[in-house]
Amino acid sequence: MISVVQVSKSFTLSKEAKKQFLHESHDERQQSNHFQALKKVSFSCDRGQVLGLLGPNGAGKTTTLRILASALKPDSGEIIVDGINVIENARVAKEKIGFLSTKTGLYSRLTAKENIEYFAKLHGMSGQQIAQYSEPLYQQLGIGSYLHRRVDTLSSGMTQKISIARAVIHQPEIIVLDEPTTGLDIMATEVILDFIQRYKAQGKAVIFSTHHLDEVAMLADKIAIINQGSSCFDGDIRQLQEQTQCHDLRAAFMQMLASTENH
Amino acid sequence: MWQIYLKELLELVRDRKTLFFIIALPLLIFPVIFAVMGVVVANVAMDEQQKVLKYTLINADKAPKFSQTLFYHRDFTQIDLSLNTDQEIKQAIQNGQIDVVIKVNQSHEQNIANNQKDNWQIYFNGASQLNSVKSKVDKVFLQYSNTLRQQKLAELSLSEQQYERLTTPISLEVINTADQRENVGEQVGGLLPYLLIVLCLTGAMYPAIDLGAGEKERGTLETLLLTPISRISIVLGKYLTIMTTGIITALIAVFSLSLWSFIIGEFANIDVVREVFASFTASDLLLILLMLVPVSGIFAGLLLSISIYARSFKEAQNYMGPVSMLGFFPIMVAMLPGIKLDWLWSLVPISNVALAIKEILKGTIDYTMLIYILMSSTVFAILSIIFCVYWFKKESVLFR
Repeated sequence: MISVVQVSKSFTLSKEAKKQFLHESHDERQQSNHFQALKKVSFSCDRGQVLGLLGPNGAGKTTTLRILASALKPDSGEIIVDGINVIENARVAKEKIGFLSTKTGLYSRLTAKENIEYFAKLHGMSGQQIAQYSEPLYQQLGIGSYLHRRVDTLSSGMTQKISIARAVIHQPEIIVLDEPTTGLDIMATEVILDFIQRYKAQGKAVIFSTHHLDEVAMLADKIAIINQGSSCFDGDIRQLQEQTQCHDLRAAFMQMLASTENH
Repeated sequence: MWQIYLKELLELVRDRKTLFFIIALPLLIFPVIFAVMGVVVANVAMDEQQKVLKYTLINADKAPKFSQTLFYHRDFTQIDLSLNTDQEIKQAIQNGQIDVVIKVNQSHEQNIANNQKDNWQIYFNGASQLNSVKSKVDKVFLQYSNTLRQQKLAELSLSEQQYERLTTPISLEVINTADQRENVGEQVGGLLPYLLIVLCLTGAMYPAIDLGAGEKERGTLETLLLTPISRISIVLGKYLTIMTTGIITALIAVFSLSLWSFIIGEFANIDVVREVFASFTASDLLLILLMLVPVSGIFAGLLLSISIYARSFKEAQNYMGPVSMLGFFPIMVAMLPGIKLDWLWSLVPISNVALAIKEILKGTIDYTMLIYILMSSTVFAILSIIFCVYWFKKESVLFR
């Protein structure tokens, strides 16, 4: 359903970024004026599957997810979603993808309901469609009691749930979540993990990046690991354990990172 | 595009800072500032008028009548100081020991007796604009000088009329063909466009920062980019919102101006203001507003481009200072003496509108020029939109 094939992306460095890299970083991906954020990254995820995207900070997870959601254009490679080339048909692909970034992406001076309905309208949904899809979603996420409150009065857990509702109101086939449980309490995390499982059960694809390996062990059917902008693993947990000869997921992950760094 | 426009307006209406810049500032703050300034200046002027000046008269014995008049005058009090050099005099004034020193010529009586022109000196600190020292001294001095002149005329058997005919053989009577409105328009025509255009800029500035850099910082811009809405629609939605706030600010400023002019004219009973206000028609005010529409458009494009470029709200605020200077410069040029609205100036953005508002206020506007101004300003506004869209499509700008 989703194929990320040999995707590469570089960014032009600003003067400040160049100075910072010169003094603080010894990342091999930095060239004279460019930073090679991604180098031929590949992975795939089918319908009804959850893919956990793993990697250390700065590995290129967010850039990969942004390209997948067509916020950024890759320098080379292709992304196919349901047979549609995301780069060539970004507009059509956007209808099929729901994206939740590390920031909640909500307008603080609007109410929760206004936020959700605004994005629904931007996706071309009619009032009738919004009413039809929103009610079950509100119930599923348990957000009905504070829909009419302004976002700047909500807790981080409430905001994250509203943000998920905003990301999936247009009924996308794939949801892409960038570190969805970071900074949330246990209750809010539970709601979000439960939501991912329900979404998967509906036969839809979920791709999420995280640093919590327990969430990956619990939810993910597949794992993709990125290190220093390059793919170093694409497969299921059993394959990762076999390849690294480690039963513990944390140890397997660390082993995989170490082996790619040695190369 | 309209979804974005309406949402942005709704958000701005719920923001107190925006409401302050768009509504409160033009409606209340400026009249308050003017009123406060008026009261302060009036009090300072009154204090200055009531102030009793400490003086020292050097060589007082050479002009006893003058010395006596000054001594008994209510505006003066004598301080006896021995001041021999200019340096000592300046030092005494600087220290605040005295306000004024009048130095009578040593040969005053001989010069008068010999029909020679005499020369005295007056020392005071004239740095303050509201200084009344010279005018107060003049009252006494001119009275003394007139007495001496009358004595001399009597000695020569001449009357005042004969003296005047001799000193002024021809008089030139000035007949100003400009009417009251043109005169006032010329005087306030520099300040008013400045205020209106600056209000357009300040009214659009905060929303521009909020809609560009603010959205970037809060992460909502990324979310917006992931919707199927085209980037042109996003830019136009934001552009129109910023332009609307600029126009609303201008509208409120014009309304505020009319209201306060009416209040001052009617209730403070100031004839000049009442007459000038009465000479303006609704069409004049509409023309001024019409001129401010393309100006708001140019500002909207400029401010949005900068705001989109900035990484954060704070960075955008830092950029806005120099941009304001860019906005003020054409207005300042238009305020320079000798700059008149012609076809060449009608093509210079912002300056053309400042000059046109001045002509509208004077009642001497050439309507053909208005068409040139609207056309050229619209072209600049469209160019600013095109640049915004180009800017908005660049990843290196959006994801700096």
